[in-house]
Amino acid sequence: MPGRRRVLWVAASLAVSVLGQAPTKAWTPPKTPDGQPDLSGYWTNITLTPLQRPANLANKPFFTPAEAAAYEKETVERNNADRRDPGTDADVGKAYNDFWWDRGTKVVSTQRTSLIIDPPDGKIPAITQEATQRIAETRAAARGHAFDGPENRGLSERCLLWATAGPPMMPSFYNNNYQIVQGPGYVIVVVEMIHDARIIPLNGSPHLPKDVRLWMGDPRGHWEGDTLVVETTNFTDKTAFQGSSKDMRLVERFTRTAPDTILYQFTVNDPATFAKPWTAEIPMHQAAGPLIEYACHEGNYAMTGILSGARADDRKAAPEGSKAGGK
Amino acid sequence: MRTMLTSVIASVIAGAGLLLSAVPAWAHHAFTAEFDAKKPLKLRGTITRVEWINPHSWIHMDVKNPDGTVTSWMVEGGSPNALLRRGVAKETLKAGMEVLVDGYQSKDGSNRANGRDITFTDGRKLFVGSSGTEAPDERPEK
Repeated sequence: MPGRRRVLWVAASLAVSVLGQAPTKAWTPPKTPDGQPDLSGYWTNITLTPLQRPANLANKPFFTPAEAAAYEKETVERNNADRRDPGTDADVGKAYNDFWWDRGTKVVSTQRTSLIIDPPDGKIPAITQEATQRIAETRAAARGHAFDGPENRGLSERCLLWATAGPPMMPSFYNNNYQIVQGPGYVIVVVEMIHDARIIPLNGSPHLPKDVRLWMGDPRGHWEGDTLVVETTNFTDKTAFQGSSKDMRLVERFTRTAPDTILYQFTVNDPATFAKPWTAEIPMHQAAGPLIEYACHEGNYAMTGILSGARADDRKAAPEGSKAGGK
Repeated sequence: MRTMLTSVIASVIAGAGLLLSAVPAWAHHAFTAEFDAKKPLKLRGTITRVEWINPHSWIHMDVKNPDGTVTSWMVEGGSPNALLRRGVAKETLKAGMEVLVDGYQSKDGSNRANGRDITFTDGRKLFVGSSGTEAPDERPEK
């Protein structure tokens, strides 16, 4: 663990101790039959803690218990989809009753005010000029074509990849569940949303050639003590994490710190996008298994509904008497 | 190329949404692309079939019109996974039950709607309440 991160983690541990929770240092993680630290099981990263520290919490890396409770209450109320605002796009956008959603009701167990722990201000570093231009060009090329056909829709709508499935794995609005399976030479992370499995080789093999690109990247793992370190490269330009480029090098660290906790940390290295690397951490807690099937294409009437809705809009916008619609 | 770029945009926008960490305006997909805020509707009808499938549940129901004819509707709900974890079983909502739907009709004018509020006709609330009641992070502190 780099020096600065160690200091931060010690600070976090102290804060946790102060809050009266059990310190974790005395606990020795179990091992798998072939001697790996055992990360296997069902885990969830559900949390209300935002990726970046909110402006009103600047210079405040940790909540006090009272502040955490107030933040949780305010956030749950703000997210509540049961609030109605009839006849507006906002009301349609909330989709359905809050009962269907599962965003959680608590901040992270470390009581941090942001998932980002480095830089210390809890903010994503400045975006480079190159990235600003790349994102602007991408938006300009897509403008007016978002509903041309299914290929123009996002990967989640196409049942291909959930935006927060990662890597890195981020909390989402529901089904924040993961299963870790370990076998000799491999660790597999199964994501409930869209049902993706990341197969991480531990055999020390090099990354794929640069021209081979994978949607979830090309991961390689190794153990540093009891921590699983996974380095992923070879991303595509079909996904972007907070605007990242396909040449992002992502380093994830999985450390089982308690029987029901994995401390998940990741560092984004992407000089083409961010002025400097940045690191976030999310304690993942044990979840009740099993993962529930997420067969998606079979029930994806929404894609038809979205495109036929767009064609209806086209017809409405077309001049009288002309034959509008279709691609 | 355009196709690929558009997908990237969707991801970038999703990222931006997380960045802001406000109320997300989309579920599995943007509901405003599928349903029309100018077409609010209230349906009272009998369930004929429920599809407990991802990415979205669909409730099929028959609605009796004033002239005695019947119109079939499809109502979109969320992913069933969270519901199953909360103990909502197939028996909770099944064919023959009468429900009220307060939602919006699809933009293409077909008999599809999103179920913003779904309630039983006897006043019992269905799918109304705070989220996360069984979420793992809400277990009592040890």
